[in-house]
Amino acid sequence: MHDEPLLNVSNLTVDLLTAKSAIRPVDGVSYTVRQGECLAIVGESGSGKTVMNFAPLGLMPTGVTTSLSGSVRFGGRELIGLPEQEVRKIRGKSIGFIFQDPMSALNPVRRIGRQIAEMAELHLDMTPRAAEARALELVKLVGISDPAARLRQYPHELSGGLRQRIVIATALAGEPKLLIADEPTTALDVTVQAQILRLLKDLQRRLNMAMVLITHDMGVVAGAADNIVVMYAARAAERGPVDKVLVKPRHPYTRGLINAIPKREDPIGSQFRGLPGIPPTLGAPFKGCAFAPRCDFSVPTCTASRPPLVPSADGSVFVACPVVNEGRAAA
Amino acid sequence: MIHFISKRLKHSLVLLFLASVVCFTLVVSAPGNVAVLIAELRGAVAVPGYVAQVAEEIGLNKPLLMRYVDWLGDAVTGDFGISYRTGQAVSADLPQRMMVTGTLIAGSALIATLLSLLLGFLGAFWPYKLPDRVSRGLALIGASTPTFFVGALMIYGFSVTFQLFPSFGFNGPISWVLPWLTVAVLPAAVLSRVVRVGLEEAMTSPYVLTAKSKGLGRTAILFREALPNITPVFINALGTQVGLMTATGIIVEPLFAWQGVGDYFLAGVRFRDFMVVQACLLIFLTFFIVVNLVVDLAVLMTDPRIRRQWS
Repeated sequence: MHDEPLLNVSNLTVDLLTAKSAIRPVDGVSYTVRQGECLAIVGESGSGKTVMNFAPLGLMPTGVTTSLSGSVRFGGRELIGLPEQEVRKIRGKSIGFIFQDPMSALNPVRRIGRQIAEMAELHLDMTPRAAEARALELVKLVGISDPAARLRQYPHELSGGLRQRIVIATALAGEPKLLIADEPTTALDVTVQAQILRLLKDLQRRLNMAMVLITHDMGVVAGAADNIVVMYAARAAERGPVDKVLVKPRHPYTRGLINAIPKREDPIGSQFRGLPGIPPTLGAPFKGCAFAPRCDFSVPTCTASRPPLVPSADGSVFVACPVVNEGRAAA
Repeated sequence: MIHFISKRLKHSLVLLFLASVVCFTLVVSAPGNVAVLIAELRGAVAVPGYVAQVAEEIGLNKPLLMRYVDWLGDAVTGDFGISYRTGQAVSADLPQRMMVTGTLIAGSALIATLLSLLLGFLGAFWPYKLPDRVSRGLALIGASTPTFFVGALMIYGFSVTFQLFPSFGFNGPISWVLPWLTVAVLPAAVLSRVVRVGLEEAMTSPYVLTAKSKGLGRTAILFREALPNITPVFINALGTQVGLMTATGIIVEPLFAWQGVGDYFLAGVRFRDFMVVQACLLIFLTFFIVVNLVVDLAVLMTDPRIRRQWS
């Protein structure tokens, strides 16, 4: 606790301005990740979980103007306001990225070996030859059989699981301190998902990296993460250690999410338990708690003002819900 | 690879045969009587029975099928018959003219490639900024100005006003500049859009996001990631444009007094000189087919996804 966490995000707000519209996909979110720690960021599509991690590192599509406020400190360095040239040096070198769809994340017309090796050339000042050797090493590290042959192949010649391993090898090539994995198992077959997750977890531990795992799969969270941030409509609904949040979710949204996981004792043919209603669109401004219209427990105060993310009865879990926190105050 | 080439060569031969039929049919069904023209040329058109005699002499009275078989049989051995107009063997005229047209097309294709890559990359490097707008504007003007007018402008601008380059003749590189530029304008304009749009599409693709996440700079991404992805598309488009240059040559060669195949073809058409017209058409078609074959091979080399289907 004496030293600063590797990644310290506080009160991050992201505004996206396109030619036609302005939206705020991330609204005042805070979290930290320490070295060797894995943080899961959970939320449904459009809840801002990807933008939150990509925008401060300049990984936004062209044609979108991104405006950031708050603070993102990485390794003691403020990323917000840092010129693109400087941010670029951090990308790949200190922070590695893993993407959702390995089918499209690799360049289809370049050999796999080159795509990995250029990272080592760029960030570790290696000669092309040394970089090739490093690529071979990395491909072995991510558990690919016949590594030398793989390096000469093109992405379309490999299966989804293998390609994701290549993406992981690429992300590791610059020896990053932090790995940001954006739904790394979503696009894969179920059997492969577990392997990739185990690999990621294993590498994270062995290389003592920090990892941010963006996902909507509670199973992934339970298996891999130390801490969790639950996002809903651009805001953090709940934050805390995984073992506490998953076992005893406090925020009604987290409860709904966990309750929606099919259980073993569910009778065959029973309906999925979903959350009633639909998530709000990001463009529409709302006062108070964004989840209130779908919440079974909402009270008038919910819509009056935005509930702050404050410690619950268990000080390590933070919840943004006036009802939960009110109950604690009363108790 | 070998399998691919042999298969494509077989297709090409069939295509060439069909093309020769079409060539021949088109030419013989064109209006006008060459016998009358020859009789006129010899100043004997008024002599009774002379036209019929000429027709007999040059074999116009034979059945069409016979004429076709005769022509094709000679053509495959490189003999394209005798020009009605000059009385010379067409195959004697052709090599020099093919060299001229070849120079025109090769130079123009090179210029069009370089120019379109330059314009396309300018636009892609500064999308929607001034360089992009300039590149787009030039492409619009280049693609919508008729080639004969471009040629006239070139002569007026670079030959009459500034006297930098000669306006006619085939005397070394300096005299090739204006014809090259004239032919290159339209393909350069069209291809620059292919490059620009292709690069933009590539730059918004997930693998470019990956490249960005690896810390690669914009220039490296454009050249290392995006360019190899648009190369097959570009080669395809370039092939079409190079094929079409045979047609542009028909306009540009007479404009600059170049004695190329296009010029030969035009003269042949004017005189109903079947032998010349047929020979030129057959050369154009062969050129088209060869260009297509080369394009397919080049695409095969640049796109590993297609390469695998044939190896």
